[in-house]
Amino acid sequence: MQETIYTSASAVATPRAFLRDLRRDLRVILPVSRQLFVRNLKVQVRQSVLGYAWMLIPPIVVGLVWTFLGRARIVSQQELSVPYPVFVMAGVFLWQGFVEAVQCPLQQLTAVKATLAKVRVPHEAFLVAGMGVVVFNQVVRLLLLVLVLPLFGLTWSPTLLLVPVGVGALLLFGLALGWLLAPVGLLYTDLSNALAIALNLWFLVTPVVYTPPVHLASWLRLNPVAPLLATTRRWLLGEGLLPTLGFNYVLLGSGALLLVSWLVYRVARPHLIARM
Amino acid sequence: MSASVVLSVQGLSKKFSRHLRTALWYGLLDIGSELWPRAKAAATGLRRHEFWSLQDVTFELRAGEALAILGTNGAGKSTLLKMLNGLMKPDAGRIQVRGRVGALIELGVGLDPTLSGRENIFVRAALLGFTRSQVLPLLPEIIAFTELGDAIEMPVQFYSSGMSARLAYAVAAHLNPDILLVDEVLAVGDFNFQRKCLNHMMGYLARGGSIILVSHAAHHVQAVCQRGLVLEKGRVAFQGGATEALDHYFAQQFGSGARSGPGRLTPTASRPAVIEGVTFTGPQGGPVEPDEEIRVQLTYNSLQALPGVAWSFLIYTNDGSICITGGYTTQALQLPAGRHTLHARILRCPLTAGDYLVRASIYDVNLIQPVAMLGWEDAPAQLSVQAPPSLEKNYQQIIRQLVTLEVEWTHLAAPQLT
Repeated sequence: MQETIYTSASAVATPRAFLRDLRRDLRVILPVSRQLFVRNLKVQVRQSVLGYAWMLIPPIVVGLVWTFLGRARIVSQQELSVPYPVFVMAGVFLWQGFVEAVQCPLQQLTAVKATLAKVRVPHEAFLVAGMGVVVFNQVVRLLLLVLVLPLFGLTWSPTLLLVPVGVGALLLFGLALGWLLAPVGLLYTDLSNALAIALNLWFLVTPVVYTPPVHLASWLRLNPVAPLLATTRRWLLGEGLLPTLGFNYVLLGSGALLLVSWLVYRVARPHLIARM
Repeated sequence: MSASVVLSVQGLSKKFSRHLRTALWYGLLDIGSELWPRAKAAATGLRRHEFWSLQDVTFELRAGEALAILGTNGAGKSTLLKMLNGLMKPDAGRIQVRGRVGALIELGVGLDPTLSGRENIFVRAALLGFTRSQVLPLLPEIIAFTELGDAIEMPVQFYSSGMSARLAYAVAAHLNPDILLVDEVLAVGDFNFQRKCLNHMMGYLARGGSIILVSHAAHHVQAVCQRGLVLEKGRVAFQGGATEALDHYFAQQFGSGARSGPGRLTPTASRPAVIEGVTFTGPQGGPVEPDEEIRVQLTYNSLQALPGVAWSFLIYTNDGSICITGGYTTQALQLPAGRHTLHARILRCPLTAGDYLVRASIYDVNLIQPVAMLGWEDAPAQLSVQAPPSLEKNYQQIIRQLVTLEVEWTHLAAPQLT
């Protein structure tokens, strides 16, 4: 019979108990999140007429707007090796996935606050289930884009096989960042408001719908999303095999950040529940 | 912790802030302290706007035992249950749990309104750590327990609160935890559901399960629990048998406003007659004892004479919910104006030892309408029946007997003539 002890001691100060709890939770996270993922998909379409089309409508609208702005020469364009609409669509679809990954932890946990406050359940299961929907939506969007590539005169390149790595890196970074912010966001609603503004500004300083001008390239290199997005788009559109400078560092950093975010959230969890 | 103890709570304390903004700020500080444990010592006492929701709570629960947690609103019952369930950390003290804990706290929480009852069974079970393949064999039993029939295929948003409660209780209860925490969840269901849940709890206890029940319904506590713990402002005010705990709880509830002597109310123009109090004493003026005579005195004060009236007293269980017996007459009296005392004698006290509540009235005999009342809109009077320790008294407490019967035991039936 399992024995559990709860004390006021810090989880960090008792790493053995902390890891034992973590292992116990890990055993149930996947089965639970599978159920929740199926539920999320069902709920996503059950009260909606357009259903799964809502995965595509927002990025398509954004993409069309930027394509129109590009064609009307309202925004300046550099020379591109691919048609501008495909360049924009690929960028916006990938950016949309990143944004959904950043927002996922706070959105998922806020939506089930009442449950978290009263039912003992591994919170990670809600995140995994939420990320399942983000991945599902991203896969559907990118498959659609890949299918229409020949219509724009592009061929399917072998680098397409690397796209899951790039998408994974983008979503990993988004999840790690969103999860790190979630404890503060669950306490203060200011954070979700600020996050919406920050993501809009971030969109503008990320080469999603444009290629970075040479004189700003070194500055844009400081943006961790830029190498992930640019590399994944190159693989998607068959523009080259080598990742952009910084891709590997950001990927490794994202993995480390995810572990830190997880640790911080596990430690913060009882304090958050006490205030839900 | 001995082998039969499944839950041990020692010196448990938890503090909260009265102000939301301060609570959020302290939340951030506490998270920071946890991540940097050396700073923890600073937050062990009370900070500004904080109070102890639970302080120095100690008790144990054994296998097959049911413990009632009683207390007024805000006494710390729900906080205690959340900590036992591992949702919140103690600020001091220690909880040791042996086995798996199942919690029934606000049954409707966690049900997805757009999914059907059947789909929600799987989701709910998953939240409690059970896979689909583990739930499938239990599904017919769970659905039968809910008695929802075809409604099990309906979205839960069309369920009543009682139907949601049935569904959630059925899922949690059939997953067979080692310790079941039940927080005032039976109140939303109808009598049939309550009866069913109580039967289920009794069966669960008989199979070796343990229950912690938070309830304000004395009959639920008496039906399920052997022991009780009364919380008062976060501290343990009483710990003992369930009946004694209920006595303590209701004495605490009604005690501050209860009246056992005259001299509280005064008549006014809108309420010309009042009952000031009712007292019960033994034949020599001492305490009331079972099977002995009781002297009853009702003191009234009236601005005017009261013609064609009679008076009554009704004896209730100490939660005020069930009238056990009473005395009333239809013989009309002419009561004079002013402050006077009415007397009656109960020839044999039928009550067993314990605490009871008393409501009284002076009423118009022809109209059957009250002229003055005590104990309905204000605090009732108290009646304490005392008995020395005896085997009979112990037996009465175990079976929760309220009144005694005069029985002539013949033991052997007379032979029937053919």
